[in-house]
Amino acid sequence: MTESTVTSESSAVRVERLSFRYPGGPDVLTDISFTIAPGEIIGLVGPSGAGKSTLLQHLNGLLPSQLPNFVGHVSNVPHVVIDNLPVARQTIAEVRRRVGFLFQDPDDQLFCPTVFEDVAFGPLNLGLSDDEARQRVRDSLASVGLAGYEPRSTLRLSLGERKRVCLAGVFACQPSVLALDEPFSSLDPRARRTLIGILKRFPGSQIIATHDLDVVVDLCHRVLLLDAGQLRAAGPTADILSNAALMERHGLEVPWRLRGEHTNG
Amino acid sequence: MHIQDGVLSPVVCAATGAIALGAVSYSVHRLKQSVADRTIPLTGMMAALVFAGQMVNFPIGAPVSGHLLGGVLAAAVVGPWAGCVAMTLVLFVQWALFSDGGLFSLGANVLHMAVIGSWGGHAVRLFVQRFIGDSHKGIVIGSVIAAWASVMAAAALFCLEFRMSWPPSEIDFSKVFTLMVSFHSLIGLGEALITGIAISFVLNQRPELVADAASVRQADASCVGHGSAITSTLVAGLVFALAVAAFLSPFASSFDDGLESALSQMGIADFNLTGRVPGVLEGYEKVPVPIAAWQTFAVSIAGIGGTLAVFVLAWLLGKALPAATPNLNSEAAGE
Amino acid sequence: MCHRWPPLAKLFAAIAMILAATCVPIAHGPLVGIVACVIFFAHTLARIPLAYVARRLLFFWPPLFLMAISLPLSQAGQKGWLMFMTILVRGTLSFSTALWLVNVMPFDQLLATLRRLRVPDVLLAILSLMYRFLFVLWDELDRMRTARAARLFRKPSLWATWRSAAHLLGRLLIRALDRADRIHGAMLARGWDGRSRWIEQPREDRP
Repeated sequence: MTESTVTSESSAVRVERLSFRYPGGPDVLTDISFTIAPGEIIGLVGPSGAGKSTLLQHLNGLLPSQLPNFVGHVSNVPHVVIDNLPVARQTIAEVRRRVGFLFQDPDDQLFCPTVFEDVAFGPLNLGLSDDEARQRVRDSLASVGLAGYEPRSTLRLSLGERKRVCLAGVFACQPSVLALDEPFSSLDPRARRTLIGILKRFPGSQIIATHDLDVVVDLCHRVLLLDAGQLRAAGPTADILSNAALMERHGLEVPWRLRGEHTNG
Repeated sequence: MHIQDGVLSPVVCAATGAIALGAVSYSVHRLKQSVADRTIPLTGMMAALVFAGQMVNFPIGAPVSGHLLGGVLAAAVVGPWAGCVAMTLVLFVQWALFSDGGLFSLGANVLHMAVIGSWGGHAVRLFVQRFIGDSHKGIVIGSVIAAWASVMAAAALFCLEFRMSWPPSEIDFSKVFTLMVSFHSLIGLGEALITGIAISFVLNQRPELVADAASVRQADASCVGHGSAITSTLVAGLVFALAVAAFLSPFASSFDDGLESALSQMGIADFNLTGRVPGVLEGYEKVPVPIAAWQTFAVSIAGIGGTLAVFVLAWLLGKALPAATPNLNSEAAGE
Repeated sequence: MCHRWPPLAKLFAAIAMILAATCVPIAHGPLVGIVACVIFFAHTLARIPLAYVARRLLFFWPPLFLMAISLPLSQAGQKGWLMFMTILVRGTLSFSTALWLVNVMPFDQLLATLRRLRVPDVLLAILSLMYRFLFVLWDELDRMRTARAARLFRKPSLWATWRSAAHLLGRLLIRALDRADRIHGAMLARGWDGRSRWIEQPREDRP
């Protein structure tokens, strides 16, 4: 059910026949292939435990299969390619710079005591000079609407603010691809709207794993439907999400905004 | 168990501080050597965990409750070096955030809870595991004994430090020590129980988290050859010796005279109480000593009872003991 | 107004006061008085409410008292009581000083000061992580405790209480270590290679 209509030359992300399982466990991902064009926003939907987070982590090289001492299946074919750069041990640092990753729980990502230190963490690790790093911090905080938050303690921020600071930390590395894991979970409507606005302004490609299908309708060009580690459907947002039979089969619901347009899929 | 500023004399504070600094520096050095990029988040999280874990109350009687100390637990999960660093930071933050403990007595506290707790506790656990094996049972029994021995060793060290802090001419320290050893015997029991249950819980749920420590040990062993086995035995022996000394300390008054003259020759003993004694206190001269008669009894109870209780505990938590235990018993109890 | 002193000055002032408090011979009443006055003055300068200090002291004294009372109890004579007083006075004075420091020096500032004093980077990195996640773990512990209390319908036996408290501890440990793994991932995702790097925050941004 997979398709790769975009040519590999112009793809920001290309995933080819990616399978993954933890040592001794069942398959988490089975034979996944897709591409993301530059500037494209992809929604990654599916029931809990479908493997969405695992798939996103692969884009960033965060899983043990990409670490030196991994024992498991290893093949010579690069399964994930970012900007024509295959994710492999030698390229991992560069891949991580290009792919910004937003974790589901901002407390996992905000590990410094102050906002400034946290946002500066990435730029400093990239080897930027102190002044450049400070500039990056200022710019990326401004781009998430939190200018002047530098001296704040990361402990005393609302959930929405924490997510935005996380995003600023990601932006500070100037990634070309964003991978977002449940960015909208437990946000109140205003914080959610703010976050959507920020994401709409981001120029690069994005892949968003979420249960919030209304946002997907609003934000995403295309949708990938993942269930039980397999890619079940891929296509333009409205086509997939309004297909009631398909949605039902995979434990999802047609979002309100698409109801009535296509009553039966 | 925190020692506050003012309990120990400045000289003793300086001495314990220097020793603790050395030990912690060495731990940091070893930590840096082993640095996988995961060490820092793991150690930081362990420190936060011990800090938060000390907030879990273990009720004893109505107003009194105990809590985890954590040295042995930390060492079991992140290894002795990271464990020592984590415990040190816990003690520091407790002072810097809540003014618990003290600044100048930080050295003594680090020595008691971080160095003896993590290094000593780890060594004792490995020592015990050499007899029982690295099975889950071995780990739990080793941790229980290690937790108890490390608290008793810390108590012995504290008695020594307290003794050196105050001019002994007129104080019969044996009685003070009786109280302290009895107290610590209880604290040690609590620590053994908490550590034992917590570790067996983790072993049940996620064995790989504790098994990590075994690989740390293997890495250590491959690093320094057989030296580490000998070192760990030495450290374990030292901890056991100190634990035994805790029970002997109340009886060691004959030893006092010799120590006193040595101290006063070095000019340490009278450092604190210079100046004239105010006359107001003179009336208290002949207050009877209430706990004198209890002393032998109390220490015997604390020592024998505590030791027995810990072994019963180890046995219960480990379900059934293998044959090697009597061997251990003579080592640890040594009475 | 002490809040606005340079951090280094605050730290050294506190150390000096604690040094004075722990070294002053108790028998020299006037000296003790002077040290106490200085500490009291510092508290007034920092506008630390007396009631707060009193409340903290109320929890501070019992263990110190227990330790100190063993001296006069075990030995008749004024020297025992003198030592008792010495421990109490020194303990109280240095504890008050520590309280003062805690109140005028936010932890972030203390961290930055330690950095200026050349405390090893590894320690500081661990320390700041610990400080950061302390509160997260506290919240987690709180939620777990509430959940436990919500399912507790009668007073459990002592053994059951200990067992469930130790299990709570174990569960917290597992969660903490899992979180450590996720944090490690988040650090890797932003280019972490095991070396900690740090720059000073621009001055004008300071609170």
